[in-house]
Amino acid sequence: MIGYFTNIYKVSAALLEGMWVTFKWMFRPSMTVQYPHEKLTPPERFRGTLVFDKDSCTACNLCVKACPTACITLEPYVDPATNKRLAKINWYQIDFGKCNYCRLCEEACPTKPVKSVRHSHGYEWAMTDRKEMNVKWVRP
Amino acid sequence: MILPVWTIGQKRAAGVLSGVIAAAVGIALAVGELPVRIAQIWESVLGLAAKKAVPAIVMDIASMVIQCSVIIGFISVAVMFMVWWERKVSAHMQSRLGPMETGGWHGWAQTIADAIKLLLKEDIVPEHASPWVHFLAPVVTFVPAFLCYAALPFGDKTISVDLDVGILYIFAISGISVLGIIMAGWGGGNKYSMLGGLRAAAQSVSYEIPRVLSVVPILMIAGSMKLTAIAAYQSEPVSWLPFLPKWFIFYPFIGQVSFLIFLICSVAETNRTPFDIAEAESELVAGFHTEYSGMKFSFFFLAEYAFVFLSSGMTAALFLGGGSGPLLPSWFWFLIKTFAVVFLFLWFRWTFPRMRVDRLMEFCWKFLLPWSFVNILVTGAWLILR
Repeated sequence: MIGYFTNIYKVSAALLEGMWVTFKWMFRPSMTVQYPHEKLTPPERFRGTLVFDKDSCTACNLCVKACPTACITLEPYVDPATNKRLAKINWYQIDFGKCNYCRLCEEACPTKPVKSVRHSHGYEWAMTDRKEMNVKWVRP
Repeated sequence: MILPVWTIGQKRAAGVLSGVIAAAVGIALAVGELPVRIAQIWESVLGLAAKKAVPAIVMDIASMVIQCSVIIGFISVAVMFMVWWERKVSAHMQSRLGPMETGGWHGWAQTIADAIKLLLKEDIVPEHASPWVHFLAPVVTFVPAFLCYAALPFGDKTISVDLDVGILYIFAISGISVLGIIMAGWGGGNKYSMLGGLRAAAQSVSYEIPRVLSVVPILMIAGSMKLTAIAAYQSEPVSWLPFLPKWFIFYPFIGQVSFLIFLICSVAETNRTPFDIAEAESELVAGFHTEYSGMKFSFFFLAEYAFVFLSSGMTAALFLGGGSGPLLPSWFWFLIKTFAVVFLFLWFRWTFPRMRVDRLMEFCWKFLLPWSFVNILVTGAWLILR
């Protein structure tokens, strides 16, 4: 008999305790970030979309070799007068469909003080077509 | 653990919320008692009808149609509000925000958009379904919910039909909606629906018994089955409990036991968590309404929330003194108490996990039922020895 009532008391106490927890949490501010209106700042070393500086690139091909998924292709600029290959690029292309954002190209890049190919903090990037994933920078 | 602080937007939302509450209180004070206003409007309508020589029977039918429309309108608006409220409450209990975009201010138009979406969706009848049963099930589920509102008092005298057997009527009619759930389970031609329907039948029929028995002490004390009479009995001043209103919930032992049993059984009757074994998402897909889409599904949804409001309204009328309260008009007090009980329903739903089927039955037959009998016995003894 005592066990019966003790059981009722224990169960009721447990239920009330659970209700108190949910009630308490209801008045706490929420963790949600209202995405399009408010945005979190990514951490400093966040690997976002790659950006490329077509003027400082020396067309050294190190990033192409470093890339594990072989998503980078480039063509060096050839001077039409002397028919010599210069330290400039004609065009530079990254296939973001293959890119796995590993930073190896940025680490391989020798240009100073700012790397030619580097990660930005951008993470808002959407495209409607697979072809748009091939981003090409052309030096005029 | 790092907890975020209140942002300006959240503080502003709290400000708007208090403004809305203040505005509601202001409107309630301005409108005053509803029966008085309704009588005034109806008098003028009758005067107009007399001028145009409209026959009395037309006016009677018009009166009924207007009452039905008002109840249907009230149910839809209340259900829409409750769905939005439930989503907000559940979200805040889980440290989320819930709907925030639709309509501008904290997603207030979310349920309206959802309702429009449900009405426009394709109505799919499965190949193995029994067409007529599949079609009739939502109707059979919803119509009793609608019928029950006829005998529900929204405050003093604000009632469509003041039946002498109001409580019996509500219990009897709301029992019919179980039939609709069984029909939905069987008519869908799906084994999960069938299991849900069978579970719903077992559960609703079992919990109906302690639910009715928990009200018996109140009937014994008040000496009436009329809901308005019971509410009126509770609004009288009391001699032996000077600091509390004479609501049934404040009667020592009897009131609390009755209230708890009634509340638990109401949650079970409306098939809500922790007693939602009939639709148990993780076990039975969606239980009895697995095979329903579009408008038919929305009818089940409407019926569930209509029953939640009905149960809360009955709790308010039976245990919390109906529309009795100071300053504000009685219908507003009734709504405050009802929505307080609705909040209890939401609170239960987002706190407790689902019960197992066998424990559910055991809880009903071996715990609630004996205690409701004990409660009746104690009430009888108290009434004799008083």
